[in-house]
Amino acid sequence: MKMKRLKTVKSILWALVGAAFAIAVFRFWRGLGPTTALTDLTPWGFWIGFDVMGGVALAAGGFIIAATVYIFHLERYRPILRPAVLTAFLGYSAVVVGLMFDLGLPWDIWHMIVFWNPHSPLFEVGWCVMLYLTVLLLEFLPVILEMSKHPVLSAVYHVLHKFTVPLVILGIMLSSLHQSSLGSLFLIMPHRLDPLWYTPILPILFFVSAVALGLMMVTTESLFSAWLYEEEYELDLLQGLGRVAAGVLWFYLALRLGDLAVRGILPHALDGGFGPNLFWVEILWSVLIPATLLTIPATRKRMKTLAVAAGLTVSGMVFYRIDVGGLAMIESTGTRYVPSWTELTVSFGIVAGAALVFFWIAEHFHLMHGGPMIKGRERLPDVTNFRPRLIRGAVMFVSGAALATALLPNAAIDGWPVVAQTVHRPGYGDVMILDGNRNDKGVRFDHKMHADIVEGDDKCAYCHHMVKPGARATGCSECHKDEHLPTSIFDHRLHQELLAQGPGCLTCHEDTSKPKDLEHSKPCLDCHASMIPAGAAFKPRESPNIGLAPGYMDAMHGLCLRCHTEQDGNSSTDAPTLARCSTCHSGVVKPFDPLHPDQRLAAPKKDDPPKGDAPRDDAPKAE
Amino acid sequence: MSGPKGILTDVTKCIGCERCVQSCRMANDLGTVLPFRWLLDDGLSAVRWCSVLRKDGKFVRKQCMHCMQPACVSACPVGALQKTAEGPVIYDSTKCLGCRYCMMSCPFGIPRYDWESAVPYVRKCQMCYQGRVSKGVQPGCTAGCPTGATIFGDRDDLLAEAHKRITDNPDRYLPTVFGEHEVAGTSVLYLAPMQLDLLTLGNKLDERPMPGRTATAMSAVPPVFVGVGALMTGIYWIIERRMKAERERAAGNGTPPADAHGHGARDGKEG
Repeated sequence: MKMKRLKTVKSILWALVGAAFAIAVFRFWRGLGPTTALTDLTPWGFWIGFDVMGGVALAAGGFIIAATVYIFHLERYRPILRPAVLTAFLGYSAVVVGLMFDLGLPWDIWHMIVFWNPHSPLFEVGWCVMLYLTVLLLEFLPVILEMSKHPVLSAVYHVLHKFTVPLVILGIMLSSLHQSSLGSLFLIMPHRLDPLWYTPILPILFFVSAVALGLMMVTTESLFSAWLYEEEYELDLLQGLGRVAAGVLWFYLALRLGDLAVRGILPHALDGGFGPNLFWVEILWSVLIPATLLTIPATRKRMKTLAVAAGLTVSGMVFYRIDVGGLAMIESTGTRYVPSWTELTVSFGIVAGAALVFFWIAEHFHLMHGGPMIKGRERLPDVTNFRPRLIRGAVMFVSGAALATALLPNAAIDGWPVVAQTVHRPGYGDVMILDGNRNDKGVRFDHKMHADIVEGDDKCAYCHHMVKPGARATGCSECHKDEHLPTSIFDHRLHQELLAQGPGCLTCHEDTSKPKDLEHSKPCLDCHASMIPAGAAFKPRESPNIGLAPGYMDAMHGLCLRCHTEQDGNSSTDAPTLARCSTCHSGVVKPFDPLHPDQRLAAPKKDDPPKGDAPRDDAPKAE
Repeated sequence: MSGPKGILTDVTKCIGCERCVQSCRMANDLGTVLPFRWLLDDGLSAVRWCSVLRKDGKFVRKQCMHCMQPACVSACPVGALQKTAEGPVIYDSTKCLGCRYCMMSCPFGIPRYDWESAVPYVRKCQMCYQGRVSKGVQPGCTAGCPTGATIFGDRDDLLAEAHKRITDNPDRYLPTVFGEHEVAGTSVLYLAPMQLDLLTLGNKLDERPMPGRTATAMSAVPPVFVGVGALMTGIYWIIERRMKAERERAAGNGTPPADAHGHGARDGKEG
């Protein structure tokens, strides 16, 4: 069967597009966190490194060939002009689509147009993308419009045709800026980028490498579509491009190494280790091997070796951009980011979509110099007669989407769950360790005591909501709200006992005509003048009635400070790890030892919360 | 209003009580930290803008440095981040489009992201600009500090105070104020007995302002744009004219001009 290659390739592409679509749904529904591997340390990942950096680079063929044909009048390259411009247009479209996935608030992308910050390289990049995409569209539109007989469309076609050269020049201006400004983006990251890549001439390196890359991209594409549609290879055209590319590649290598030498980084390149190894792999891959293959006439003129050289340059220069965009930052930041399969699938899905559009246009319009690739379709597509050919694609699309959805992690589908707290089961008795922060430090939780205190038939349900989804327990703070609130610490019974031997109730309730409550009693500080030590960092809130103590947490943090200040310099009180609740509350969780069952329980008793015995209400009753 | 404000943190006075963290949380009404996958272990997150790092028994408070010439402000393509006259670097979520270039450009790795949200924003310390500093009230963290380890004031006064402390207790501190010259100065200053490399991200910083690093490339944009345009137009015009003459000559000689195109312009290609 003819066109078997094409059908297989297209089926795979449709499946990729479907998978990317399914992931896209969850990416926008659940956010970037659950659907990517990005972190606070590595906020730019594969979508920037490959989609944006790579996409722009791959589009470089468009302005290179447009310049070759229109500006330098090298008419013999005209046959590959249209596919190159279309690739550039699709490449830039892929960049924009990829960016839509990566931006946190993609629906606000129009802010670029309204809110200006001309100091930002990204501002320049954004504007170049917008303008150049428009220019490419106008440059390519005649290919579509020339097929139409509609009077308005042909009028547009003639206008656009007249403005071809100005459009091409504008496209070259924007492209030159944009290719280089992608390098400028990273000039503000000297802290992240390895010095083998960080250089003030990054923009120049990006531009020069884009020229070589663009030439080789056109070559790759021309060879690939000839293979795919089982046609003749245009080798004599392509070897001419290869010769120019070889020159550009050698120039790029000289720039690259010369820059290292001038900045005195060359010794570092010979150090060994991750950065230097990455550097030499990249140089070998992107420049040395392909440039050698392209320089030797014998290898340049053979299809297979030319294809290898083109493939190496293209992938190598994309690799260079991925290095700058991320790989050369691994050592300095210590990131452990590895792109998730969801990120990879979305990126490849976008490329697959662009490829499908390319094929469609190649099949229906005069893209290749031989005319439409599938004969008999030299017309605008008939929308009413669309179905039969799409069924295979639709099946693959749905299969891809279904497979991707099945493989997605739970977090991407349900949203990020509240992580369940680890509970160390009680080894002996009824005390367990709740390690809420999961840092091997826990709070001693006396389950029996809590079960005894809480009353009622449904007392278990206070904490164990077995009927709630996920059977989550009540957090400690739902009951222990007073951790942060003032608490009564006045022990009325103790005062009663002590004062009974002496002056009695009248000590505090001086005016017998007044009610015997806190408000009408003698201030605590009248007797306990020394209760607030001189120079205490913390002052009780309800002074002078300090019967109301601060919240337990404040008491711990505030009142302890005085001693720490007094004994400043004493290493034992240097506040080693006082700040975490769990430091006092039992400390490091030890495994249960049956021979010493009480060891875990013997942790500092002083930290137990005060028993709420003598509340304010006792005061009037105490007559 | 006197000069730009700042914060001075004296590492030797900090007892690590994290009262600043708590006050920051209260002042900015921040939520609960959940153990998400994307957090760093420095304690900062989209809902914690201030944290206390521990190293060799010392406590170092980490927060936005509020650079005098902030990388994030120059990086943001829509100007969502601004350096105010009072000193704080503030964030306008209504402008942000979520590119996270600020996070990539910050040499201290401060800005964090709402990764778990479908409508995420960048989050970082804003020195309590909205509710406090713009009204002449000190930020939550310095107000909450029980030992005076972290204080708020005019940056110039704080610098003077820092140098005075160094002079008075030369054994207690390194002789430099961290933040006086780093990346051309920051509004948040540190006095410490040790190097504070743990506050920076990645390769060592120098004293060049971060925005200056892209400024050269950005200022080259207009001339390059116009230059490329002029060059291309020029080349086009010259070659076009030469070819036109050639076509006319060919027409005069009676030879068909079609094949002359490619070869005639070959020399122009290398130019």
